[in-house]
Amino acid sequence: MSTRARVTQIEPPAATGGNALLVMVGLGVAFLLIIALLGAAKAGGNLYNESNLLYVALIFYAGAGALYMGFGVTGTAKYVKYASICTAIGFVANTLAVTHRWYLSGRPPFASIYEMLLSFVWTLALLTLVAEKRFEVKIIGSITMPLAVVCVILMQLLPSEVRPLVPALQSTWLHVHVTLAMLSYATCAVSFALAMMFLIKDDFSTDTFLAWTSALVAGIYAGIVATRFERWGGLSVTAWDVQNKSDVFLGRGVRLFVTIPDLGWLFVIALIGALFPLILYFLARARHDASYLAVANKGVFVGILLQLVVLGAFVLRVRDSSYASPYQEGIYPTSLAASPFILGGMVTGVFASLLYLMLLWRRNDLQDLLPSADTLDRVTYKTICIAFPLLTGMIATGAFWANRTWGSYWSWDPKETWAAITWLVYAGYLHMRVTRGWRGRRAAYFAILGFGVVIFTFLGVTYLLPGLHAYA
Amino acid sequence: MAFALLSIPKRIYKTLANLRTGVVLLILVVVASALGTFVLQRPVTDPDKLQAAYSPQTLRLLDRLTLTDIFHSWWFLTLLALVSLSIIFVSIERFPNAWRFYARPYRKTDSHFRAANPYRVEIPVRNADQGLNAAEQALTGLSWPVERIVENGEPSLYAEKHRFSVMAVYLIHASLLLIFLGGIIDGVFGFSGFMAIPQGEQRNVIELKNGKKKQLPFSVRCDSAGQENYADGSPKKWWSKLAVVQGGSAVESKEIVVNDPLVYRGLRFYQASYWIDDKKVDGLRIAYSGLDSKVLPLELRFNQPVKLDPDTTVTLVEFLSDAFVRDGQVFKKSDSMENLGFGLEVASRADSSTAKLWLFPAEGTVLGAEQVKYQFKNPTSAKDIDFSPVTGLEVSCEPGQWFVWTGCVLMGVGLFVAFYMVHMRIWAIAVPDANGRLVLWVGGAANKNKDRFEQKFAEVVDEVRNEIERSTPTSRPPEREERERPELALMNTK
Repeated sequence: MSTRARVTQIEPPAATGGNALLVMVGLGVAFLLIIALLGAAKAGGNLYNESNLLYVALIFYAGAGALYMGFGVTGTAKYVKYASICTAIGFVANTLAVTHRWYLSGRPPFASIYEMLLSFVWTLALLTLVAEKRFEVKIIGSITMPLAVVCVILMQLLPSEVRPLVPALQSTWLHVHVTLAMLSYATCAVSFALAMMFLIKDDFSTDTFLAWTSALVAGIYAGIVATRFERWGGLSVTAWDVQNKSDVFLGRGVRLFVTIPDLGWLFVIALIGALFPLILYFLARARHDASYLAVANKGVFVGILLQLVVLGAFVLRVRDSSYASPYQEGIYPTSLAASPFILGGMVTGVFASLLYLMLLWRRNDLQDLLPSADTLDRVTYKTICIAFPLLTGMIATGAFWANRTWGSYWSWDPKETWAAITWLVYAGYLHMRVTRGWRGRRAAYFAILGFGVVIFTFLGVTYLLPGLHAYA
Repeated sequence: MAFALLSIPKRIYKTLANLRTGVVLLILVVVASALGTFVLQRPVTDPDKLQAAYSPQTLRLLDRLTLTDIFHSWWFLTLLALVSLSIIFVSIERFPNAWRFYARPYRKTDSHFRAANPYRVEIPVRNADQGLNAAEQALTGLSWPVERIVENGEPSLYAEKHRFSVMAVYLIHASLLLIFLGGIIDGVFGFSGFMAIPQGEQRNVIELKNGKKKQLPFSVRCDSAGQENYADGSPKKWWSKLAVVQGGSAVESKEIVVNDPLVYRGLRFYQASYWIDDKKVDGLRIAYSGLDSKVLPLELRFNQPVKLDPDTTVTLVEFLSDAFVRDGQVFKKSDSMENLGFGLEVASRADSSTAKLWLFPAEGTVLGAEQVKYQFKNPTSAKDIDFSPVTGLEVSCEPGQWFVWTGCVLMGVGLFVAFYMVHMRIWAIAVPDANGRLVLWVGGAANKNKDRFEQKFAEVVDEVRNEIERSTPTSRPPEREERERPELALMNTK
């Protein structure tokens, strides 16, 4: 190990063979299950329903995530095996939730962003299990499981009632289109995870991971602060109509915001906390002094604590309270359900930082567990070879459906355009790989970029850009 | 100078035929498209919304830079044209080599190739015939199409699968061009617009997206239209019964719903929307009573007389959405739904007189009731009034769409072949090895999915060994074979 790498490590806990975490996760899972069971029994009604099943899936996915993290902290290889079992149980519960919803509505669950996330998480878990068993990429779940947890948390907040299909959506082509979309997006997610694994195996410098993790977290908080920070330190969130279970609208597409006093400052502090390691990283590079990096790594640790504090404060303040609005007189209620993306972003930030710590402490163990860099590179390429035809099929069936519904197969609507951009990015990857022989790092960067575009197409376009795809 | 001038087209060609240019062009397309999703686009946004979103100066600047209609701007279309040209030129540049590879496969190995090929084994044989026969048998058994080649008196074997897959990449690019072609045809010859037809009427003019009108050589009549709702009141289905009228007679008719258009002469009529025309009433359900004071229900259709007794008929003849009365005369006040007024005409054959009455449900009054012996009651709920439905049709003519769909199908086929069909080759030849011993050299190659091919190759080699063993009269000591196997594994690691 190089001296540089040694300096960047803050004292890693000694690898223990202990079962402490296993017991703790097991107890945690059991505790949550019993609480849920008691709650359900008290409320009466059917135990076997979708939200209970989804809750079980969430618990097990979270358990799997915790075990991967536990592996990161203690280096116990056994945890990875149990994490895989947790993933499998979560997957079964997830499957039951999907079938239950399908059975209830009498149609495949593809008609709203909630249902699409449900299918996406299902496909993601399936592909994770496939990658673990078939390609021996054992710890791929450490990236895909947190992603699954974020998605399930988002789903808990999104309106979930089974809505009847509006006329435009009553088409077999819709089902084909969305199935292909979910399959290709989940495959892209797996290729992203594999590309990250490749970078870990390929001795991609831990410091650069530090920079990117901090940049991601800082980006999330900068986005929130830039769009939601109000004068005198308030934070704007969407008002929530409790009766109709929807955002409050002032006009078509214009949401009513309420301001939570003082909460904005906490987000600013978290932003600074995320920028701090990033600045130290650049200082370390500029001055060629690795001692800055040791401080930066401690900064990440502090940053996680800060993020958790902000997350806790946000949840407590937002949960079912009412605040004044600067735009319209009166006090309006808000709810966590009104801010799914702020919450999703914050949870993503916590997971990203935790994954970085895991990498920082357990890099060698991680590398030992992974197949060769060459294999990872090839499997990444393989997953993209699967994702690309699926993407093509998704765009083609989407165009065909649009043509049958609106009389035009391509109208440059934002979702369409971004799907085309995704397609072009992956097409670029394939061309560079096949004709220019791009392998390894550059190919991995491309796969990561591709998934970034996929996420934007899937969630970003729906919430940031207007268009025909209003329902999803 | 003249030389330089002449070489300009060539230089353009060379630039566009370069893959790097293609990639730069693609990046530009990506950036421009992304920009087009962030800036509001004129064709799909209300002018009011645009003005609300941008200040007048910004809007003028955006308009001048054509950023408010990127996807139809000359420079974006030029960019797409350059991408197409680049695809064509790059393909032209690369095609001859690929075609040579395809048309004249490398069937007989030379010594350099044999020394360097990553997948290879050498199996000792007694003579060339024994080795080649065994290999031929083994390959045929594993359903490989085998050829025996004799060149310079030297026999060898060549077997391959899926050679066509090396050409799939051209199919993919050609299909992409086909899709572009379809788009261009539709951009030039296609049009799309909107047509609203009230129930029972026919129309032959389309309002195009660009504000112009287009006259059709035939008319479309809406015989009826309607909406079905879910229990919660949200719309479940819109339908309309359409008929194409040409020369006064209906030549084609169809009930269309969303997702299932009427197609006539390349024009498609889509059910896009449905609404109620509150200026027009089709029918009315009320009650009336005669001299015996018995109250009876009465259903009236517009302009259709209903017999009340052998001598008297009543007809719904007029509807006003906002009526007012002055000096016993009824006038139209506005177009909004304020004070509905229904004009009824009661005709009596006995004294050949007609009387006009007005029902005003909002006020609950009847004007002119004293003229007739029947008493007419006002409709009691909105359900008793059949407002006239209007069906909104999206009309489009896309002559190029079949190119697009053909392109999509071909691309699907091309992608499948390119990604999942592997061009695999196997060679076998009897040659002396480094120690001068006669061996059967077996080699293989695959253009992708090397792990799968490794298995296939091992399978072939195993089978060849078995065949050789079977054709050897006295069984050889096994240690020879054990030394060969690790060698295979060793050579295949790279």
